[in-house]
Amino acid sequence: MTIAGSHRVVWLAGQARWGLTVTALMLLGLLQGCVTATVDEMTFLEPTEGIGDSSVVILGRRHAPDYETEFDFIECIGDHIRRGDNSITVLHELEFINMMYPWFEPRTAPLGPQDIDRLMAQEPVANQFSNIKLEYMIWIDGSTIETNSSGSMTCGVGPGGAGCFGFGTWGNASEYEATIWDFTDQTEVGRISTNTSGQSYMPAVVVPIPIIAPVQGTACDSLGDQLLQYLSATR
Amino acid sequence: MVAPSLDSMISGPNRLIRIGFALLLGLVLAACGAKQVVVQGNFPPPLMEKTPLTLGVVYTESFKTHEIYDEAAGREETDWLVKTGSAQVEFWDTLFTGMFTEVVHIDSHDALHAVEDEVDAVIIPYVEDLQYTIPLHTNVKVYEIWMKYRFRLVTMDAIHDHGNGELTYNPNQSLADWTLSAYGKTPTAFLQSDEEAVNLAAVVALRDAGANFATSFHRVPAVAEWLDTRNTITELPAPVTASVEESSTSEESSTSEGSSTSEESSTVDESTADDEGTTST
Repeated sequence: MTIAGSHRVVWLAGQARWGLTVTALMLLGLLQGCVTATVDEMTFLEPTEGIGDSSVVILGRRHAPDYETEFDFIECIGDHIRRGDNSITVLHELEFINMMYPWFEPRTAPLGPQDIDRLMAQEPVANQFSNIKLEYMIWIDGSTIETNSSGSMTCGVGPGGAGCFGFGTWGNASEYEATIWDFTDQTEVGRISTNTSGQSYMPAVVVPIPIIAPVQGTACDSLGDQLLQYLSATR
Repeated sequence: MVAPSLDSMISGPNRLIRIGFALLLGLVLAACGAKQVVVQGNFPPPLMEKTPLTLGVVYTESFKTHEIYDEAAGREETDWLVKTGSAQVEFWDTLFTGMFTEVVHIDSHDALHAVEDEVDAVIIPYVEDLQYTIPLHTNVKVYEIWMKYRFRLVTMDAIHDHGNGELTYNPNQSLADWTLSAYGKTPTAFLQSDEEAVNLAAVVALRDAGANFATSFHRVPAVAEWLDTRNTITELPAPVTASVEESSTSEESSTSEGSSTSEESSTVDESTADDEGTTST
């Protein structure tokens, strides 16, 4: 009995430690830096009917020499729209670019809706567009950059273990603009822009604790929400 | 029967030491050795109306085996060997096949004579220069690659067979001679290895070269003039930033700038100096 009792005490102590660890990890997961987001929407032409079985493609602008719209950001917005309304067909960016090669490479991609006409003059291109039933082409232009960083951290390994000590902080800023082209009417129908910024922190006393500001994630959610609202406005 | 077992018993520990030493040496050498990348990628066919031409293609030996070797300048750097040859051939094959009604490879004396009457023109691509940047001062694995190509479009009459497996052409019989630039950058900063990042930058550069070629081929003045005489005009949308650096057929090849390790630039220069290009196959 005594032996069984001590086993139970040890087991309970183990459970409590495990529970504490899980709680600590959950708390750490909840620790996030603050993010400020501003969204501006300018719609020239509200949709009058749903897009039905047509599709939408979201593409990143990559022709500027100093920045490129990140592929994962475009994927994030696409996923956000798909999650919000699974009846909207959002084409995968890379699949679309490959399917349309070489017309959507950085040096050849159309810069304005007026360029669509010239693309459609090519019969194979026009046929491909007809096959995928494209209704909206959404161009995302912008990027996320690190604005500032400061602090220092020292890590060491010894016979007794390893650890870090110090404090680091850095800021991130996102600036994205989505331009919506109505593919059927070959006209620009709206622009949505978002500016987000946030400061991340990393204090370290033995273990570094990252408190990350989800700047790009917030930009993705903000832009994704507005696009979703636009695309499913009449559903 | 007994001797081998005795031998193995005696030499067993020695062999282990030797193997261990060899492994250690291998690891040390691997750490010091050059980083090697054989460029590989999936290249989509171009979506465009085919130009009604039967195009002969000559890939020179230096083009098929194109590579750049960059020796480390300091202790912190490593040597790099980037092999683009097989990817170049795969990529340009896919592009030419998608752009022209028929593409014929001319890689030997027999091939030359077999297609003599069918081919409208022969294209000979060269990598004239290739440069890349290494992110030395950041941990972000984003590489950039610049490539400069030279294309020569010649008539079948310009290609001569010397009978020793070597094909030569006369540059004076060129229909067109132009250069084309391409740029590629690793599109993501989250790749695991430097090799992967270099490979992706090279693939992006190849795609850019293809996009540039596909949209500018018909706009090269000498090509346009030749197509005009054949009544083969294809209207293509203008590229956004494509730049075609046209050079006349009689003009001397421009020497490559920067730290090119490409062997082909010298071949091009030699061919111009000799007034007879060599496309050894």
